[in-house]
Amino acid sequence: MKGLGTILKDYLVLVMILGLALVTAIIQPKFISPANLVNIMRQFGPLILVSLGMTFVIIGGFIDLSVAGTINLVAVVTISLIDPLGQVGALLAGLCLGSLCGAMNAVLILTSGATTQAEALFITFGMSTFYSSIALIYSGGSTMHFWDLKSPPDIFQAIGAGSVGPLSVSFVIFLASLAVLWIFHTKTAAGRSISLTGGNKTAARLSGVPVSRSIALIYTIGGFMAALGAIVLFSRVTTAAPVIGAGFETNAILAVVVGGTTLKGGKGSVIRTVMGVLLVILLNNSLNLLGVSSYMQWAARGAILVFAIWLDNRKEVQGNQL
Amino acid sequence: MDISEPEIILSIRDVTKTFPGVRALGGVSIDIRRGTVHGIVGENGAGKSTLMKILSGVYKKDSGTIVFDGQTIDHTTPHESMLRGLAIIYQELNLVNSMSVGENIFLGRFKEMKGMHGTHTKARELLDSIGCKVSTTKLVSELSVSTKQMVEIAKALSFQSKLIIMDEPSTSLTGEEMALLVKIIHQLKADGISIIYISHKLEEIFDFCDIVTVMRDGNVIDTKPRVKFTRDELITKMVGRSIENEYPHRSRDIGPTLMQVKNLNTRKLRNINFTLRKGEILGLVGLVGAGRTEIVRAIFGADKVRGHQILISGKPVTIRNPKQAKDAGLGLIPEDRKLQGLVLPFSVEHNISMAAIERFTRFGFIRGSLEKGIGAKHVQSLKIKTPNTKVAIKNLSGGNQQKCIVGRWLEIGPSIFIMDEPTKGIDVGAKYEIYVLMKEIAEKGGAVILISSELPEVLNMSNRVLTINDGRITGEFDPEHTPVGTIMKAALGLEGGAP
Repeated sequence: MKGLGTILKDYLVLVMILGLALVTAIIQPKFISPANLVNIMRQFGPLILVSLGMTFVIIGGFIDLSVAGTINLVAVVTISLIDPLGQVGALLAGLCLGSLCGAMNAVLILTSGATTQAEALFITFGMSTFYSSIALIYSGGSTMHFWDLKSPPDIFQAIGAGSVGPLSVSFVIFLASLAVLWIFHTKTAAGRSISLTGGNKTAARLSGVPVSRSIALIYTIGGFMAALGAIVLFSRVTTAAPVIGAGFETNAILAVVVGGTTLKGGKGSVIRTVMGVLLVILLNNSLNLLGVSSYMQWAARGAILVFAIWLDNRKEVQGNQL
Repeated sequence: MDISEPEIILSIRDVTKTFPGVRALGGVSIDIRRGTVHGIVGENGAGKSTLMKILSGVYKKDSGTIVFDGQTIDHTTPHESMLRGLAIIYQELNLVNSMSVGENIFLGRFKEMKGMHGTHTKARELLDSIGCKVSTTKLVSELSVSTKQMVEIAKALSFQSKLIIMDEPSTSLTGEEMALLVKIIHQLKADGISIIYISHKLEEIFDFCDIVTVMRDGNVIDTKPRVKFTRDELITKMVGRSIENEYPHRSRDIGPTLMQVKNLNTRKLRNINFTLRKGEILGLVGLVGAGRTEIVRAIFGADKVRGHQILISGKPVTIRNPKQAKDAGLGLIPEDRKLQGLVLPFSVEHNISMAAIERFTRFGFIRGSLEKGIGAKHVQSLKIKTPNTKVAIKNLSGGNQQKCIVGRWLEIGPSIFIMDEPTKGIDVGAKYEIYVLMKEIAEKGGAVILISSELPEVLNMSNRVLTINDGRITGEFDPEHTPVGTIMKAALGLEGGAP
């Protein structure tokens, strides 16, 4: 039997989300106005997509700092390909490029035998710089706008600002990604192999679980989702600057960890990440509505991340007492 | 014990402890007397470790009283216990690897020792007092397990400990190192220090404990002087039923050659050639570090090895990684259960099913009901003690965890089962069950390669043993008809048997 305390601890993010929403709604009724809710839904765009990919990397026991570089590169390359390849061609090329960046991280990690999170951290940090610099060289450092294109890119415009019924297109992309990734993680052999790899690499390998393939897969998924995030991102702002992805890696990791996926690998879920992103977005939104300065907002964000990691370790300590 | 009983140094009365869903201690009472070696035995999960952790202050008791050296102790911390004179030496030693021996002994007390000079001088005195010659400036990371234990003992003495708890101290000691530990224990006893000695090895309990307490399922079953216990009585009380034999009878039905290993060479191994026959249990005997584990890891594809040849049923097979080994019909119970065998945060079910993912997936999708069945089947047939199959495996006792790993491989049904220290740290009852399983695997036409540091286990279970010394096979023996001394000599590299 789970005690109330355990349930509270397990679903702390949810409790925090509800608490935050309640408090903000009481102090500032504008919070529950349709305009603000639509605003919150819109923010569910690029960050959640990148974070969903990051969830797999972290469940697999690794970490990926290269997503910022991947986003930069995918954004500038994709927008530049709209004229020569057409919109669908550019879209597919962008997604392939992102997956390729992820796969390249995996190849480096696997061939170097870097089996720890710390080693992966430095390798992917290096790769982020590498991808970003290619983005700068490729674009010549300049920003490309939709109005520079020969004809208006209606598909990308729809991704950025269109809606399906009451939902924005980017929200639909998020829901679809969530469904696919959730099924992949919980219902497929490949998803299970990733979890086992994150839970104990050595034991997984000695039991014949395809560990190398799982590592390749998590980074490829991470790269693909970063590319999807990049496309939603530049479609929304209608411009692609070669530095557009800055900060995404840390925010994505923040969302995953705050959601309750453990940095130690093995345990976690994409649903938790959604809650993590929701909390981060709500926090920004609430603090904005409540008129808290952006400096204080940064402090709140940092505090939540540290608290989440502290709680994660704390659970571990208590779990060991059994 | 009969003439003038020494005073009671530690009195434990009706101590209880409940973890969510588990009653770990149900009213335990034990008295420890000054200057005695008090053995505590019991299967894993009997509550020994919980009790020790309450004594040292890692856990808080729910009820009951503990009086140590005249003081009632309600709640304490590991540090306070140390200061009071109650020291614990854990199985996984608690030393700082990157610091020197002397620094470890007086960790955090350099000021009291008036700097590093005083620290090392005093550490030298303490180590000399227990006959340990190691330099106080040596780094702990360079020490053997045995020497680390000595350092822990010296550290305990530095706190003027009146009671030292030793939790499974002999697990990774060689015979010689063990003899040294026994000597130190006798000396501590002579100095009036009490010792609580926790062990699975009955030989040790009978060798030097004065009083023995048997625990089972969180309760004390019996406490009396060791001389009044017989071996059978002790085992019966531990497991709650009588065990006729410690080992099952050897199977006699040995068939044709199942596997041949040819020209296995690595940096550590020299020209390893051997065969394994159907229905056979082949024991590898040697000291820790002789190369036993390296041989099986190489065969299993766990380490990168080139140039050797493996034939199974006469056909050459390529094994470059554990996946290929699994496909070729090999199974491995690795040496270190926690680090190499278990995925600790995962459930019993997931741990059992993990080598057989293909069996319960269709088109890559997991079929939950099939997986559930696999978990339930092995929990039932191996009598794994767990509330249900969804419980995290870290909550199970060592023996039950090991059975889960056995179940993991039984699901695949490997024809060649490699078991590296399969009974390390598990209790008598579970050991016997694992022995019976080994025998069953062999009798069904498979074969087992058994590595164990417990010599009686290898000698009683194996149909044939190979002695390994310094990366070489130094002999091949029939353990039933060879004196132990001859086998040991070959394992120590003193003389060869028939290769």
